[in-house]
This record gives sequence, C-alpha cells and structure tokens, in this order.
Amino acid sequence: MSNDPGPRPGDRKKRLDDLEQRIAAARKSGEPAPREDRDKYAAMSMAWRITIELAVSIAVGATMGWGLDSLIGTLPAFLVVFTLLGFAAGVRMMMRSVQEDQRRRAARAANDE
Amino acid sequence: MAVSESGAPIIDPMKQFMVKPLFGDGKVEGFLTITNSTLWMAIAIAAVSLLLIGGMRGRALVPTRTQSIAEILYTFIRSMVTDILGEEGKKFFPYIFTLFVFILFSNLVGMIPGSFTSTSHIAVTAVLALAVFLSVIIIGFMKNGAGFLKLFWVDSAPLALRPILALIELISFFVRPLSHSIRLAGNMMAGHAVLKVFAGLLGLLVFSGMGPLAVLPMGLMVAITGLELLVACVQAYIFAILTCIYLNDALHPGH
Repeated sequence: MSNDPGPRPGDRKKRLDDLEQRIAAARKSGEPAPREDRDKYAAMSMAWRITIELAVSIAVGATMGWGLDSLIGTLPAFLVVFTLLGFAAGVRMMMRSVQEDQRRRAARAANDE
Repeated sequence: MAVSESGAPIIDPMKQFMVKPLFGDGKVEGFLTITNSTLWMAIAIAAVSLLLIGGMRGRALVPTRTQSIAEILYTFIRSMVTDILGEEGKKFFPYIFTLFVFILFSNLVGMIPGSFTSTSHIAVTAVLALAVFLSVIIIGFMKNGAGFLKLFWVDSAPLALRPILALIELISFFVRPLSHSIRLAGNMMAGHAVLKVFAGLLGLLVFSGMGPLAVLPMGLMVAITGLELLVACVQAYIFAILTCIYLNDALHPGH
C-alpha cells in the first residue's frame, strides 16, 4: 500500500469526471430509439376506443329514449330525440378523448426533454 | 378439434368461450358453481400472488429478476396514478393496481393454449366496470356532495344550451361502464376467435390434401399470437388508465 501513492487528488477528480461522461454516453447509446410501430398501435387502440364509444353512446341514447317513451307512451318522439343526443354525446366524448390524448402526449414529450 | 361425419374438421371459433361447470353433472346451479371461468380466474390470482408476494420476499437492494418484474409493474402503475390523479390519488392506487394485475394476468393466462380467457366474457368485465362506475358515483358524492352534479352542468356554455348539454353529459356518463367493459371483452374475444379460425383453416387445408399450403395460416397464427400478447398487455393498461380518468372526474368534477 505505502509504496503505491495512487493518483493525485486532482488527477482522480478528472478521472471520475471522465468516467461519468463515459457512463452517460453509454446510457444514451443503450436507450431504445423511439419506436414508430408502438405509436401506430396506440393510434389503432385510440381509433377503436372512439369507435366503440360512439356506437355505444348512440345505443345508450336510443335505449334511454325508448325507455322514456314506453313509460309515457309517446313512442317515436323521445326515441328520435335521445338517439340524436346519444350521437352528440358520442362526438363530444370523441373530442374529449382526443384532447386528453394530446395533453398526455405533450406531457410525455415535455418529460422526455 | 371436432370432426364432422366425413372426417373434415369443423371450425367452431366460439366453442372456446363456453362456460362449463367443473364438478357435478354439468348443470350450472345457481350462484356458487365452480366453472372453468372460476378456475382460470383463480389461476390468474395465484400467478399474481406468486409474482408479487414470492418475488418481493427477498426484498433485496439489488433485485432478482422476479423482484424487478414486480417492481416495474408497481412503479409503472404508481406513476400513472400520480400523473393523472395527483397526490390525493395515491389512496386509489391499491384498487387500480389490483384491477390492472388481475386483468393483465387473466389476459395472459388466457394465451396459454387450451386455457380459458375469463376476461373475454362481458359478465366478468361488466362487473369490473360497474365496480369502477359505482365507486366514481359514491366517491364523487362523498367528496363533493351535490357539487358532483357540476360534472353535468357545463359552466362554459351559454345558459340556453346547458340543459341539452347536461343531457348529453348524462348519456356519456352512462356510456362509460358499457364501453369500458365491451372494449376489454371484445378485444379479447375477437383475437381468440380469429386464432381459432386460422387454426381450423389449417386443419381444413391438411384434410383436403393441400398440406404445404397450411404454412400460410400457420405463419399468420404466429403473427397474431404475438399481436394478441401485445393486446393482452395494452388492454389491461387501457382499463387501468380509463379507471384513473373516470376517478379523476369524481375527485375534480369541474371541467
């Protein structure tokens, strides 16, 4: 031990900095490149989500209208109105889902910076 | 595989979704019948317990492989919950994590050939979605009282439009449990049915003496199996993230 003085303090600091830089570089090269097919898959599941929501909201609207009609006995009236309202609800949900998705994407992009 | 009288294989893609009692004379009796669906849900829960309890037993500072999988799952859902719900959402983390791992493992054990996918049944996913729906309503009223109804009253719209918008909001609120459950069950069912159809096609090709051509459906089946593994994970994630988004409405009903 005593006959090996080791690197001088300044020297050691430089070597540590060096090592840190090398580790950072290695980390960066090891990171997977952002994958496009995953984005494509996310877009597909988004599309499915919107489709299902739109279809289901028309169905729910129609069912509500039909239920009201059969309670009051005005068969086509509420059915028509509520089916249209259901469609409107579907479109509104679609817009909100897209907004949410965009907000999340923006947040993720900000995180990656 | 079922075979017709002439010996040709019959393609019956929906047969795999039959719920069958495991014991007794094959009748479904009331509430407490142990079926294959029950069995595979129990297997999913056992697998989850094995991974999470068994994996974390060591509590090593440098995790083993099983422990890192458990930790990755935990931190992944944890950061998702705090991202969407904020700090006060931490209370709901156990619920959301339970939902996520249960659906994930039900989907994944369903990928084992010959197994049963319990999440391919609306009956199962609807219970999960209804539980979320009811907890949103209950938590919403408990936290905000009547203020929860502001969810339906859009303040930013002109006054004349608000009643109509309230109706629209009400409909879209009731759409949630439906689309939430249909999406999961539909995705799981569709993928498994497609796999079965291709498998049947393979049998038909071999039966009709065009054996070498059977490579085509075989290759497609391999590809679809890969896709289904992805779908199994992504659908569990989507179910969990939508639960967070719905719970967020219960915590902050204003838009």
